[in-house]
Amino acid sequence: MTSEIKAVANFLAQTAPFQFLGEERIASISRNVEVRYARSGSEIIRAGEHNDHLFVVRSGAVELRLAGDELTARLGTGSTFAYPSLLRGGEVHNTTTASEDTLLYTIPAEQFHALRDEVPAFRQFFAEDEAARIKHALDNRKQTSAFQLDTKRLGDLIVNTNPVSCPPDIAIASAVSLMHEHDVSTLAICDGQRLQGIFTDKDLRNRVVAERVALDIPVRDVMTASPQTLSTEATAAEAMALMAAGGFRHIPLVSADGALAGVLSATDILSAIGNNAIDTGTAITRARTGDALIEAAKRVPESFAAMTASGLQASHAMQFTSALGEAVHRRAAELAEEELGAPPCPYGLVVFGSLARREQLVGSDQDNGLVIAEDTDSAGASYFEALGTRISDLLDASGYVYCKGGIMAKNAGQRLTQEAWLDRYEKWIAEPTEDRILKATIFFDMRCVHGEADLVRSLRREVVAKAASSSIFISYLARDALRNKVPLGIFRNLVLEKSDDGQKVFDSKAQAIMPIVDIARTLALAHGRTEISTADRLAALAREGKMSEDDSQSLTDAMLFVNELRIAHQVRQVESGMQPDNLISPYSLSPLERDYLKDAFAVIRNGVDALRRNYAGGIA
Amino acid sequence: MFARWRFERRLRSLAAAGHRVLQDYAAADWPDRSCAASTAPYLALDFELDGLGIEAHLLQVGWVPFQGSSICLAEAHSVDIRSKADLDTAAVTIHGIGEQRAARGQKLREVAPRLAKELSGRILIAHAADIEVSAIERMAASVWGVQLPVRSICTLALERKLRPNLVGTEAYRLGPSRARYGLPEYEAHDALTDAIAAAELFQAQLSRVPAGVTLGELEQT
Repeated sequence: MTSEIKAVANFLAQTAPFQFLGEERIASISRNVEVRYARSGSEIIRAGEHNDHLFVVRSGAVELRLAGDELTARLGTGSTFAYPSLLRGGEVHNTTTASEDTLLYTIPAEQFHALRDEVPAFRQFFAEDEAARIKHALDNRKQTSAFQLDTKRLGDLIVNTNPVSCPPDIAIASAVSLMHEHDVSTLAICDGQRLQGIFTDKDLRNRVVAERVALDIPVRDVMTASPQTLSTEATAAEAMALMAAGGFRHIPLVSADGALAGVLSATDILSAIGNNAIDTGTAITRARTGDALIEAAKRVPESFAAMTASGLQASHAMQFTSALGEAVHRRAAELAEEELGAPPCPYGLVVFGSLARREQLVGSDQDNGLVIAEDTDSAGASYFEALGTRISDLLDASGYVYCKGGIMAKNAGQRLTQEAWLDRYEKWIAEPTEDRILKATIFFDMRCVHGEADLVRSLRREVVAKAASSSIFISYLARDALRNKVPLGIFRNLVLEKSDDGQKVFDSKAQAIMPIVDIARTLALAHGRTEISTADRLAALAREGKMSEDDSQSLTDAMLFVNELRIAHQVRQVESGMQPDNLISPYSLSPLERDYLKDAFAVIRNGVDALRRNYAGGIA
Repeated sequence: MFARWRFERRLRSLAAAGHRVLQDYAAADWPDRSCAASTAPYLALDFELDGLGIEAHLLQVGWVPFQGSSICLAEAHSVDIRSKADLDTAAVTIHGIGEQRAARGQKLREVAPRLAKELSGRILIAHAADIEVSAIERMAASVWGVQLPVRSICTLALERKLRPNLVGTEAYRLGPSRARYGLPEYEAHDALTDAIAAAELFQAQLSRVPAGVTLGELEQT
């Protein structure tokens, strides 16, 4: 007896959920398969009958029809069906018909049940619930990632758990000799166990030597007070994002009781994963001229590729790319100020859209503006015009190209006083029209990246409160969110459009990511939440009981999953020298990925439907 | 016209041959030629040979019996056949069955009775069935010294009837024929895979012939 039926085993080995089973089990299944051919239009199983086989579509496609109901699902190569009837003891609820000429492999119920008992991954796959299946897909991916940034505790990364520290009142000279003695570049300044500040080589250069400060004054006066810290329980991903955003190379770690536990250096992380992204962040933050900034910013796509290659997950790659983007914006504003002199009054540089949500990938254009504290005279106005223009130009040259919609600080309409911004938002909120909302949603994702953060914070708080109190505005937002068509037909097939070269593709950004972003934004504003990133919004909605934990988690997972596909797609394009886009052909995905993608779309469709029911009422 | 007569006459002479397996073959419950094709018992079968000539050696045989609308792979079977001959290098490259493996296979006189038993009362299904039929006849002649009568349906010939207007011979090969019925591509040149491929093609073809078509209308004469 041969051990396996090759043609069948080879196919099952690439097909969810059999690919989890290992060679031996697959061989045994291949032996028990019965092959059936169904001509297009012929019935395979009928509602009300008894079924004792699991069906796998080997080629062709079938249509599942719920008893006495509309069409429900269309399944193609690699899909399994009829398992719900096996789970309920054989009674068939869905009549299934071949919608194309179809070859089916069927597996006896006994073997199906035995596999479910023996193999958790197999059982999990048939956990009927789409949400559970996506979760499962993400777990699988995480397990296969090379380095797990979000499970790596910082406490485990630091080499020296006994940081060199000193009290705040010792003289600078003694502090420096302590650093020299221990050969460290960072000194923790502690009051007892509590961290008060840090003092670094850089501080010594910039605040002591350059300023000609006397060496006998207390180190307290020149240290960086209340530095950003992280818990030892925080993850490597969080530390990398903080370092890239702030351009720091050292972060003090504190334990749960607030005591200093160590100083994490960029080198600690780099040696753990081997990656140049923090270096890019540092190069951006330290760029002394516009040209240096442009040069440094050019390394962002490269860092992105390196991050992905080192097994960084979608959420981190986005967080990180966004952090680098923020750093470029901040540095562009700082350099512009250096060239033009101090601003006549406080202002904030704000970004909108994906960068504000910290969900940016490479290749995005710029969306920004200035929030100015008060009305200025004409000299003030021309200062901000020059500032805005310089910032936009620097960004354009750095790879954040001019916004086609004109949402950038070089345009007068994007340089408003806080009051004028508020008027603009109020107009959108009080008198929404379909067209206005279409153009305005991006403004409701806003983050300050430089300057007076308080100006922006109070503006945003007021805007959110006004939005939450206007149900007509929220219903327009909800209606706008329904514009994006989820490419899942009522048959659970992928309803695809053809790209320019005639391939069938789906737009992973417009058809999957944007609907989730829109759902989260609409609900967050409806409930007066000021969070900006989609994951934060969904988490806050669940925490506040405005959305079920399950729905919130499923949408977050669906976004993560699609973003992983999207990033992998873009990295492949970058590697083969193409301009990255968001158009993915489902045929480039494995059957398992296609399955999970359909689950993700089902989750998104549910979210959109809920939005339609609850908020778009009356006008959608 | 005389196919049935010839077949039965040969069966009668088998009964006299003095081998138990051949007597069983002769006494099997052979389906009537008026029997509906959709319910008859079949054996899809494929040989891998080391050449196409009349003296080509049998390297491997794969078969799967089926009846009705499903093909049960639990009953599928594949055997490497022992051969001490120098193998035709070109054909060996295609099948991947080297001399060592061929030398480890089962002897023809062990394989022949099993095959005869499987084929008893069944209609052979193969793509270009003449090759399989003549290989079986040669096998029976060398093992038992008899003319083994074989009933067969050739999926290639059937395809020519169903699609008479295709240009060239390529279109009638197994792969392209299967593709017209939405059947998947299989890796060729494994005897069992090819046997299963032929069985599936035959099922697909049966779904296109008029309901109630009989064995007699499809069988090779």
